[in-house]
Amino acid sequence: MKTSPPLQSQGSGSFTGKHIVSLNRLSGLFFVLAGLLLYFVIIPAETETVDYGWLRPQTIPNACAMAMTTLGALHALIPTGSISVKLREILKVTFFTAFTLLSLWLMETFGFLLIAPLFAGALMLLVGERRIGWLAGGAIVFPVAIWLAVVPLLERSLP
Amino acid sequence: MSELPTILAGVEHAFTLTNLLFVVFGVMAGQFVGAMPGTGPVMAMAIAIPFTFALDPLPAIAFLVGVNKGGLFGGSIPAILINTPGTPDAAATAFDGHPLARKGKPEKATKMALFSSVTGDTFSDIVLITVSAPLAALALKMGPVEIFALMVFAFSIIAGLVGDSMVKGLIAAALGLLAAMVGLDPEHGTPRLYFGHFELFDGLPLAAVAIGMLAVSEILRRLAAIGSDILPTIVIPKSQSKDDRRVSWAEYWSCRYVMLRGAIIGTILGAIPGVGSTAAAFISYASAKQAAKDPDSFGKGNIQGVAATESANSAVVGANLIPLLTLGIPGSVTAALLISAFKIHGIQPGPLLFEQEGRLIYGLFAAMLMANLMNLLLGQVSLRLWSFAVKAPETLVFTSALVLCIAGVYVSTGGAFGVVIMLIFALTGYFMSLFGYSVVVFIIAFFLGNKFELSLSQTLVILDGHPTNLLSHPLALVLLTCAVLSAWWLGFYAPRKARKKA
Repeated sequence: MKTSPPLQSQGSGSFTGKHIVSLNRLSGLFFVLAGLLLYFVIIPAETETVDYGWLRPQTIPNACAMAMTTLGALHALIPTGSISVKLREILKVTFFTAFTLLSLWLMETFGFLLIAPLFAGALMLLVGERRIGWLAGGAIVFPVAIWLAVVPLLERSLP
Repeated sequence: MSELPTILAGVEHAFTLTNLLFVVFGVMAGQFVGAMPGTGPVMAMAIAIPFTFALDPLPAIAFLVGVNKGGLFGGSIPAILINTPGTPDAAATAFDGHPLARKGKPEKATKMALFSSVTGDTFSDIVLITVSAPLAALALKMGPVEIFALMVFAFSIIAGLVGDSMVKGLIAAALGLLAAMVGLDPEHGTPRLYFGHFELFDGLPLAAVAIGMLAVSEILRRLAAIGSDILPTIVIPKSQSKDDRRVSWAEYWSCRYVMLRGAIIGTILGAIPGVGSTAAAFISYASAKQAAKDPDSFGKGNIQGVAATESANSAVVGANLIPLLTLGIPGSVTAALLISAFKIHGIQPGPLLFEQEGRLIYGLFAAMLMANLMNLLLGQVSLRLWSFAVKAPETLVFTSALVLCIAGVYVSTGGAFGVVIMLIFALTGYFMSLFGYSVVVFIIAFFLGNKFELSLSQTLVILDGHPTNLLSHPLALVLLTCAVLSAWWLGFYAPRKARKKA
């Protein structure tokens, strides 16, 4: 088995080579726990028990859960492969996802045409865009163009 | 078999200005809709069908075929330029297309996609025109047992894509297969793993999962990585040579075997009802990578990766018509839509079609070849527009791409629930990438999961639980042997050989 290659320092919030093996082991443990949770709790609760037929509803899900547990344990014991984790990037990506979810809820409440330009403009401002021309393009022209293409042209509905 | 006068009459019938214009409109509409994430040729065809009521059969069907062909190529443009596949078929194109674009060669990458797409498409059209009847008979021999063996073979090919850790690759495959289990089970029809959300009865929507994992996760990562200097989305060096902007004949010719293999894979899978172009693209990519002298260069901008996927997914279009025209069996959703278009015009696809409507069918074949030519010509124009668009700052392009993904998935899944799924899988894909678990393997396993379970269930019933009954299915035995050999070769022999070499 190949050992994990060392990761070079990538600035603030990055993990270095000595942490990689631990993170790899942790990811293996995560899949052990996830597999056990699926096998003992989630699959029995979310799958109907059927006692006839060759392939029952829980057969393949159970096989997947067992595979995850076994392979996760193997990975926790003998970690292999590379990892590239940057804490600051993770925080930003999580924030952007939450922001998109919030905007989706607002789109459902107030409509795509009103919220999409605000969402796009706010996102551009958040990532550092300050040029008025590009902001106008991203916040007004593109969302309106998408709405025009989808609603009147393709005759599909948007929130 | 129709005689020469019928063929000539059909060809003459096709080459009119009216038909040419409908093909042009179809290809343009297809390229436009295909480039919008989450939409694609199926939706474009579904919308277009009512507009063809008033047309004659040939322009109507030629228009729809143009939409389909244009849509499949259109999906590759955003996949290459901004790593946002317009359709799931184009997901594999992004693996090498986008890295090549980021190396400052977006025009080369997109042109290779266009050329290989047209090549694969033309290959399968020629197969359709010349040997559709015997091929359809062969495709019909693919019963559930053979389809199951084919699925096992497809899974074995995943071994070539797991990356630097076999264990992580297998975990990703198990996760993908598990995600495919959401929804009604194929044998008993009972819902499972749907957590009270009735929207999940049909399973997780492929468009939402594929776009979330492959496109939105990358968009979010790129947005998070924007620093104080805002750069264009694709930085094209000012001193870029002419060779980096075009695909030379030597480069095209160097990909001939890759494209031929992709076209053959696409044609065979296209002729089998229910397999589809996404599977063809992934299988072709994996086989091209494994056959390459430098497999490590795949995923880093190898032009052969683009050629492999685009030739395969486009080759499915023509081959899909083989069971449709000869037997009246639609091999895909787009083929089913074409059947409805045929029926609207009072034409019954099936064994008698060539005899009763020979002129129309040969006209359709000519129109298909015309659509390939139009795809090539119009593609050159749309590529210029797109290449210009990606010179805009990444703040604008990625924000707009995110809004486009939201709108596209909302439309394709019919509500906000699909967008939530997309975001959940975007985060999943992001974390999987961070920890080195292959997103590609996840997507392939997810895509094949349902077909695998269904065919396994049918196989167990047909074989009555006795493996010895497999002996009466020689084709399945051949495929299963190939699967074992391929898993051994790709998963053990080739990596060990590479390690020894290193």
